[in-house]
Amino acid sequence: MTEVVGRIRPASNVPTRLLLFGGIALLIFCIFPFVAGEFQTNLMAKLLLFGALGVSLDLVWGFTGILSFAHGVFFTLGGYVAAYYLKLNLSASANNYGGTLPDFMVWNGLTELPWFIAPLQFFPVAAIAMLLIPAGFAYVIGWFIFRSKVSGVYITIITLAISSALTTFFISQQAYTGGTNGITDVSKLSLLGIVIPPIGLYFIILFFTAALIAGGWWLTQSNFGLILRSIKENEKRISYLGYDVAGFKIFIWTLSAAIAGIAGGLFVPLNRFISPVYLAVAFGTQVVIWVAVGGRGTLFGPLIAAILLGQVQNSVDRITQDWQLIVGFILLLVVLFLPDGLMSLLPKPLRFTENNQVTGYLPPAPKKR
Amino acid sequence: MSVCALQIGSSLVSSLIDLAQTAPAEPKAAFSMIAFANQLLNGVGIVGILLLTGLGLAITFGVMRIINLAHGEFIMLGAYVSFVLQSAFKMDLLLTIPFAFLFTALVGAVVELTIIRRLYGRPLETLLATWGLSIVMQGIVKLIFTAQLKYVKAPPYIRGNLTVFGSGEQAVEISYYRLFIVVVALLLLALTAFLLYKTSLGREVRAVTQSREMAKCLGVNTSLIDMATFAYGCGLAGIAGSVISSLKSVAPPMGQDYLVDAWMTVVAGGVDKLVGVLAGAALIGESKAAIAFLLDDPAARVIVLAALIILIRYRPEGLFTIQKRA
Repeated sequence: MTEVVGRIRPASNVPTRLLLFGGIALLIFCIFPFVAGEFQTNLMAKLLLFGALGVSLDLVWGFTGILSFAHGVFFTLGGYVAAYYLKLNLSASANNYGGTLPDFMVWNGLTELPWFIAPLQFFPVAAIAMLLIPAGFAYVIGWFIFRSKVSGVYITIITLAISSALTTFFISQQAYTGGTNGITDVSKLSLLGIVIPPIGLYFIILFFTAALIAGGWWLTQSNFGLILRSIKENEKRISYLGYDVAGFKIFIWTLSAAIAGIAGGLFVPLNRFISPVYLAVAFGTQVVIWVAVGGRGTLFGPLIAAILLGQVQNSVDRITQDWQLIVGFILLLVVLFLPDGLMSLLPKPLRFTENNQVTGYLPPAPKKR
Repeated sequence: MSVCALQIGSSLVSSLIDLAQTAPAEPKAAFSMIAFANQLLNGVGIVGILLLTGLGLAITFGVMRIINLAHGEFIMLGAYVSFVLQSAFKMDLLLTIPFAFLFTALVGAVVELTIIRRLYGRPLETLLATWGLSIVMQGIVKLIFTAQLKYVKAPPYIRGNLTVFGSGEQAVEISYYRLFIVVVALLLLALTAFLLYKTSLGREVRAVTQSREMAKCLGVNTSLIDMATFAYGCGLAGIAGSVISSLKSVAPPMGQDYLVDAWMTVVAGGVDKLVGVLAGAALIGESKAAIAFLLDDPAARVIVLAALIILIRYRPEGLFTIQKRA
């Protein structure tokens, strides 16, 4: 793992026009909540998180070539951690039963808090678990599948099975997870004793997403990113050059799961509940669709697609109940006729993907001792 | 990194322990051979369903290497064909099966012509496109028939139970309907094996999969073969849907329930030989039934899926495939 991290070198240059457009976009997003109403602010915060989730999938799929339907799972694992924290910190008056035990546990006959959930009532533990549980789960899976001869399509089928199995598992463990309903009626997020208002939450989420985009850009433009893209192009060749391909894959896979977990953790204070709906394959598919429609390997594409599709869905939902059908058509058309997604419709200078070709020199591979 | 792996490991173990601890807490009869035998026969029914739903995939994936995630929706289409024919013409379920085959095969042929054909040699793109297709098919069916659950009646002569031995409370029995599913599945398996290995058409199909270019040079109409094979695989899914339509209700999302399991069946058994599907179905169906007997249904599903993931990790070519040199 240290060898892999050692590969990350700063990107050589950031184009001025990227700084310009990024700055303008950030400014617009900063002004947005003061212009739009509370409903739109909350919706936009949600879509920013979905966009961040899309970006995390883009890192493994668009840049490294691993298609995963399990990113919704990592997102939801982070979400459950946050939901336990918020549920356990409900003030006694707000809790229907006056006690410290969450209502769904009372309904299912639990008399005391299970020991593996209890530590989550403390903020530092929950904050770390929000990141470590999805990342740890992803690391185990990643170690398991990437250090084997399992090839692309099988990995995708495994991620489908994981999502399906976990959904069943969470629904069946009603006493611990709230079953089909999930964890509802959670408290509002408060930091240092101050309850965070919706607009504060919006800015936390905006900061997270902006930092993710900046960090993602830096990562993918670095030597490390070059190796990832090379793995996508020709895995065998990279491994013949002496690189530990599996190590790189596991690293980016774990990192992206951690990002998805944080996004999920931020989602719960906003959404006020989490349920197995977000574990299911359908939500994992949504994430894949954002990336496919936005453009694989573009970093900005998934974010734009998530916001665009989300806003369209919001307005279309009032007219028709068949949003899913439209989404299916969009996915089908994009795969068949626009394989590089919406970003490829933009003029070239605005795509910021010119450095994504596998050119230049790979740094020397580490010596085997 | 290893520390967090340990953490998640221990939390997983603890939840598994909880799973084991909570399960026996439910009031359950003491271990009885009769109940266990019944559960194993129940497993035979599951094997039949898995075999039936996996067989179409064994053609589209096993023979043609097409990743078809819309397979579940072809099953759903077959079930709706049976529903429509039964409610409009009062047709017997058995008589609707050929129509289900023809209709889904036709849809399959159209899909091959318009979508799959453009994506040969790009498995991940095919996977995405068929996933989009599955959403579209669900959406269209929902538009036409609404999301309401529909019911298909089984013909009277395959209702009731066959008693294997014993009687009354102590009887070991299997329903005729599940037996019917198993018989249809085995017949279809035999028919498909015959078509694939004993006819000139099957020889051409195998030639195209082995070397498209060479087959073309020898005068095989490869694009026609591709279309026919894919259509046949989809038709098999249609038969599966028609046959299982009266087992549960018929609804637009029903295909999703069968998709992951059908894939697991095909992958577990290995796709080089058709008989691998039978082996995969037998393995998954019976272990599911046995674990469900000891714990409960969700636990059985989770454990079997986890075991299959481990299996794919160590033998991606499936359990019952002869090792080949790469």
